[in-house]
Amino acid sequence: MAKYNKLTQVVAEELQAIVGKQRFSAGDSIKPDYAHDEMPIYGKVLPEAVCLAESTEEIAAIMKVCSREKIPVTVRGAGTGLVGGCVPVCGGIVLSTEKMNRILEYDMRNLCVRIQPGVLLCDLAADALAHGVMYPPDPGEKTATVGGNVSTNAGGMRAVKYGVTRDYVLAMTVVLPSGEVIQLGKSVCKTSSGYNLLHLMIGSEGTLGIITELTLKLIPKPEKDVTLMLPFHDIATAIAAVPSIKLANLDPQSIEFAERDVIDSSAEFTGNHIFPTVVNGKEAGAYILVTLVGNSEQELVPKMDRLGKIAEQTGAYDTLVIWTDTLKKDVWAARSAFLTVIEAQSKLLDEMDVVVPVDKIAPFLVFVHEQADQYGVYIKSFGHAGDGNLHIYCCSNDLEEDEFKKRVKKLMDASYAKCAEFGGQVSGEHAIGHAKKQYLRESVGETVYGLMTQIKTVFDPDAILNPGKVCHDLEGGAESC
Amino acid sequence: MNKTDYRDMWVYIEHDGKTIQTVSLELCSEVRKLCDASGEKLAAVVISGLPQSELDKIFDAGIDKLIIVSGTGYEPFNVDAYTHLFTVLCRKYRPSAVFVGGTINGRDFAPRFACRLPTGCTSDATQLVYNPESGDIEFIEPAVGGKMMAVITVPFMRPQVGTIRPGTFKYQPTGRREPEIIRETVDFPPDQIRTKILSFTPDEADDSLNIADAEVIVCVGSGIKGADSLPRYRKLASLLGGKLGCTRPVFDRGILPFKLVIGQSGIVVKPKLYLAFGVSGAVNHVTGFADSEKVVAINKDPDAAIFHYCDYGIIGDMDEICDLMIRRLEAAEAEAAV
Amino acid sequence: MLKILCCIKQVPDVNLVKIDPETGSLIRQGVPSILNPLDTNALEAAVSVKEQLGGEVTCITMGPDMAEEALRECLAAGADHAVLLSDRAFANADTLATSYVICSAARQLGQFDLIFCGKESLDGATGQMASQLAERFDASLLSGVLNICDICEEQKTVLAERELENGIEKTEATLPCLITVEKTNFHPRIPNLKSWKNSRTAEILRFNSHTIPELDPSQIGDPGSPTKVPRTYPPEVGESGLILQEGSPEKDVDRLFSLLKDVL
Repeated sequence: MAKYNKLTQVVAEELQAIVGKQRFSAGDSIKPDYAHDEMPIYGKVLPEAVCLAESTEEIAAIMKVCSREKIPVTVRGAGTGLVGGCVPVCGGIVLSTEKMNRILEYDMRNLCVRIQPGVLLCDLAADALAHGVMYPPDPGEKTATVGGNVSTNAGGMRAVKYGVTRDYVLAMTVVLPSGEVIQLGKSVCKTSSGYNLLHLMIGSEGTLGIITELTLKLIPKPEKDVTLMLPFHDIATAIAAVPSIKLANLDPQSIEFAERDVIDSSAEFTGNHIFPTVVNGKEAGAYILVTLVGNSEQELVPKMDRLGKIAEQTGAYDTLVIWTDTLKKDVWAARSAFLTVIEAQSKLLDEMDVVVPVDKIAPFLVFVHEQADQYGVYIKSFGHAGDGNLHIYCCSNDLEEDEFKKRVKKLMDASYAKCAEFGGQVSGEHAIGHAKKQYLRESVGETVYGLMTQIKTVFDPDAILNPGKVCHDLEGGAESC
Repeated sequence: MNKTDYRDMWVYIEHDGKTIQTVSLELCSEVRKLCDASGEKLAAVVISGLPQSELDKIFDAGIDKLIIVSGTGYEPFNVDAYTHLFTVLCRKYRPSAVFVGGTINGRDFAPRFACRLPTGCTSDATQLVYNPESGDIEFIEPAVGGKMMAVITVPFMRPQVGTIRPGTFKYQPTGRREPEIIRETVDFPPDQIRTKILSFTPDEADDSLNIADAEVIVCVGSGIKGADSLPRYRKLASLLGGKLGCTRPVFDRGILPFKLVIGQSGIVVKPKLYLAFGVSGAVNHVTGFADSEKVVAINKDPDAAIFHYCDYGIIGDMDEICDLMIRRLEAAEAEAAV
Repeated sequence: MLKILCCIKQVPDVNLVKIDPETGSLIRQGVPSILNPLDTNALEAAVSVKEQLGGEVTCITMGPDMAEEALRECLAAGADHAVLLSDRAFANADTLATSYVICSAARQLGQFDLIFCGKESLDGATGQMASQLAERFDASLLSGVLNICDICEEQKTVLAERELENGIEKTEATLPCLITVEKTNFHPRIPNLKSWKNSRTAEILRFNSHTIPELDPSQIGDPGSPTKVPRTYPPEVGESGLILQEGSPEKDVDRLFSLLKDVL
């Protein structure tokens, strides 16, 4: 018995009438990109139709039709996700917010900005700076939509100082599965006013409602920033330095780590050789990058001195200062290229986005590398040393896909179990989608998972929003719908 | 200085004893037009001997004078002797302009003799216009990263010295005149040469780096994701019987060698088909392919300037379009094989 | 002990320069000034020679007061001394006038064995400075150097590999020698904390048109510059080509192939 209905010609025409011919595609004219995100290994499924919405009203009208007809709706931003979150596993329609990319209004007196959800993170960041303010969340994927960032509660490099996307969402407009439009939150910074549905929506991956407008908090732009690079012998000594850095009262904006082989791949791939491989005559095996911000050079120098001392005490080969715009651009260009480089150099790829306590980063990485050796895949990793959020990529260039999946499954099972043992989280910022559901369930336990499922039912009784994701199980698997 | 005391425009003929560098011939043809406009004579300056068949090429460009220089110190090329020679010749004959091909050697010595004379020197002009009112040559070139065009002149000094990149102009034989032959002997003492070539290792013959005469060019621009995207473009180029080239930023990022850079500061190409993938269309690049027969641009930005310099444009992902083109060509090949 | 000079320039980051669509003029406001990228490779070459053979690197530039920041960047990256030549009278100089001022000032600092400069600047991009500085310093010239193989202080020679159009030439040149490098083997370094801190407070030697002895006013700035820029204009932009919009990339490519069938 099919739970969902197929899109009929009549309903398709009804949807097309809402968004217009130009912004509607069905059947063969759907671009293949709409079948997957950046992790095609979790499966590709083409929707029956794609609607490029431009307004809350259009989305409300689409949802009225789809809830009446019981047609699944999967919301999609820029498709840069890594857990299959925007893959329409039950078919139906993909509702893309890519055309809702306008920055609507700055409120400088209250330091906030109102935007449509399809605005790209890089565009918002640049536009805010041009207005003399900063939008602090800084996830690595700059061409993601802000709506997608909110739906996954993306974190990024600056989370150490400023927190994550959640901390910058003040209010939003949401279209419920029924098509009803609600407002959540207000443009103020405090609330003690009932259940916080705003925060329930954040990180809900399009399974509870559709975000159609956002009001985000901004901060004044810091005047000066500097990044210090600490090269170490290996990843263990590098990570061992992080607690001292955090305790030194430097209030860093970010603390990142990178392993040498990722640096080498990046240099080879981009031609950018900015990371020194030999420092004071010694081969560097891992790097810590610490970014400090302040309102003047005078304010930064004492902090830089303190960090220099810590570097000496913790065995860093040197403390390198990335001060000029040119060096900053080169270093962050190399850093931003990590994922692209790993993707480009590996035929098969799977990833983990776990968070472990900072003192468990090194043992966890050691464990994963051992597992990889055992299963015949290789590991590339980088991540946020300051908060224990690791991006670990399992790659292979010689295995068949089925064999790779089998082996990686074993590796992942063991690694997520290890992560749980260390007191970690399944995902720091990439979310659950359908790829990590099993690990979420194991991590939170049946009671909590059950509560999540019930919340889903309250918002979306027919389960038409992004079915099969986060905590929603498809009876009989994806084939049944 | 009285500008009218300086007459005739010179082109330095760079050669290796066997053949003339194409850029010198291109300059003869272009400077011929300037001389026609100004009523001056075109002189070619040749150092040491050249086979008659090569000299004929210069005659065919319509030169009025041929200055043949012999003497010690010119072989192999060195900056000291050539700087000295052009200083001596310019002081003696007072040409109004001296053009030198923008090769490595040309760019090493031309600004130097200009400095010694002294006079003004320009480099990399992409258009040359004679202004009859001022009597000056206008050296026109893209400036500020190709965002604008600048007119450069040398209004109070002579000669006006310019180095011009190979391929900027066309060699067009215009018919012979009977040139006046002037023979000069200027010796440069070999012991005053400050550089000594100890060895020369030719690049391994890598035909893929020789793109100047390719009939089809697949050019990748700053839109390219990285070096790992290159194989598909190489493949497309090879399926089309052409070569891969790039824009300056791709070289700056270390993805491809300088020899593949097309544009004002690199190679000028004139293929039958020019495919620009992820190329923004800055003028300093556009000058490098402007004479192509057909230009196709693929860019994801509908406002990219490149679309104004193409015959056909596709707005889309460069890798995706490249892959689709490869698939089409491979299908056609497979069909032909059957 | 080798005395090494490195000539550098602070330039606007032309990639960020925009053109006012109304007036066609450059919008320089908000465009950051950076150390000319190819100068960073020249400096790295100069500093690595010093580190291998001993000596001192002096960086010199002509420019406004804010060019001090570019010099501090060089000090951080290993230069020992910095010299700023700043005067309104130096403004609007072309390569001839600039090379004259730089050489005149450098003469006050002694005789240099090696002079490095970037292959070309990001903004002017004439690539003429090396050749004209070599002339002013009465130095030999090695352009496009890939490797500096050897320097013999007694014989006063430098041995280097140069990249030419069609191969690699090994050449010996006498000192003083002016060198421009290819960036292939001279990646700029990131300064360490100690070096960076020193650079922030290091003294910068300053000259103006009056403190450089015997400077000929007719050879500096605008009067000393034979090349002029009487006008600039926006590039002519033709009509847009035919944009293929067939509905999908596949169809666009199909259409392209049919349009190109005579060429392919």
